[in-house]
Amino acid sequence: MKKLVALSSLILVMILGLSISVNAQAKKKADKDTEDFVYEVEVVSVGTQGTYLIKVWSYSKKPTVAINQAKKNAVHGIIFKGFAGKQGVPGQKALATPEVEQDKKAFFDEFFDDKGNYNRYVTSSGDGDVAAGDVMKVGKKYKIGVVVSVNVSDLRKALEEAGVIKGLGSGF
Amino acid sequence: MKNKLISLFVSALLLAGAFSAFSQAKKPTIMVVPSDVWCNTNGYMFEFDNQGSKVKVADYKTALQSNAELLLAISKINELMAARGFPLKNLESALKTLQDQAAEDAMLTSKGGAEVNESPIDKLKKVAKADIWMQLTWTVNQTGPKKSVTFNLQGLDAYTDKQIAGASGTGKPSFSAELPVLLEEAVLAHIDNFNVQLQGHFDDMFKNGREVILRIKTWSSFDGDLTTEYDGKELNEVIDEWVKENTVQGRYSTTDNTENMMLFEQVRIPLQDANGKAVDTRGWARNLQKMLKEKLQLDSKLMMKGLGQAQLVIGEK
Repeated sequence: MKKLVALSSLILVMILGLSISVNAQAKKKADKDTEDFVYEVEVVSVGTQGTYLIKVWSYSKKPTVAINQAKKNAVHGIIFKGFAGKQGVPGQKALATPEVEQDKKAFFDEFFDDKGNYNRYVTSSGDGDVAAGDVMKVGKKYKIGVVVSVNVSDLRKALEEAGVIKGLGSGF
Repeated sequence: MKNKLISLFVSALLLAGAFSAFSQAKKPTIMVVPSDVWCNTNGYMFEFDNQGSKVKVADYKTALQSNAELLLAISKINELMAARGFPLKNLESALKTLQDQAAEDAMLTSKGGAEVNESPIDKLKKVAKADIWMQLTWTVNQTGPKKSVTFNLQGLDAYTDKQIAGASGTGKPSFSAELPVLLEEAVLAHIDNFNVQLQGHFDDMFKNGREVILRIKTWSSFDGDLTTEYDGKELNEVIDEWVKENTVQGRYSTTDNTENMMLFEQVRIPLQDANGKAVDTRGWARNLQKMLKEKLQLDSKLMMKGLGQAQLVIGEK
């Protein structure tokens, strides 16, 4: 009996460990995807003053990882990618150039860390609920669209104060 | 020893402060104005007879006094630009200042009874000024019960006449939203793209110098013209060489060159001089005026239009 309990505990620990490791791997892959721009940003509508309301499509084998990565991808997209417009809503250009991404790599590594400051400038709309049509299976991965609101005004100000991007009045 | 160190530290701080004060370039002023098309469509125009031909001029004062939507759009743009660290000159305030100043000048006398000097040119120059105009146009489109706003914001350099930034588009049609809401949405949707282009213009200015215009003319009292030779070189050659030597990477184009006038366009002047002091077109053209006086003993009168246009009339002051 004792043997059986010990064996089942061991199996439970192994399953738990495996699951944590799979999740960690999926998270790591998601971070790599963010760096490699493997996500899509789509405009939803004109946000309130200083904000953009966008839908971010993220990819992962684990749907929860894709949903959680959406906020990071949204801020990354606003800083480095920008987004195209659609009828009635103009697109926006990226806040920083690709050169800035290289020059300030240390800053951005810290900024996009899981506990980094990127989280201050983004909120998920509707508590991160995903509409039924926004979950798709693409090969072995899930493609999930999450609507988020990015406070571009504060984000830009923070990047300007950190000397990462230039302000409109800088140099004068 | 301690005192010496402290005084050295203070001197270094003062020097750094002075340097940073000098190393700032002169900031262009920006003002939002409604476009002529908008003023004409909405009936805010003056019409006067100019030697037989009817000329229409935008009546900003009446527009600002009677159109609340215009005031809202201007105020929203001003607010968003101030939030970006670039406060704009306000058209309504500028017009009021001009009016107050004119009234004050008319009443101003010295203790001895003298009036303020004002030439016809001074009078002509008494208009609202900015280095960059943000020209605003919008039209309301109506399809059945649906309304949408077509919005156009143009950034125009007052001196080179170039459009340096722009953002335009038609917003989403709406059944219920009122015009002020649609207008506010349009401003919010377009201002960031406009600012990206404006930033691009400023970056180019910092890299390649400020783009200005220089006009050379001669007074009828001038004994000679621009083809008169000085030490084997025609006067226009001397001026051309000076411009070449004093522009960033020798960048300029001589658009017109006759015996009476020269027009230099796309002249790229440095934002700072060799000592790190901010330079505007007046300061830059003043050096040409000095060179003509010192080397060729020629007097000239230097006139300015904002940060970007200079006119030097040779012959006398």
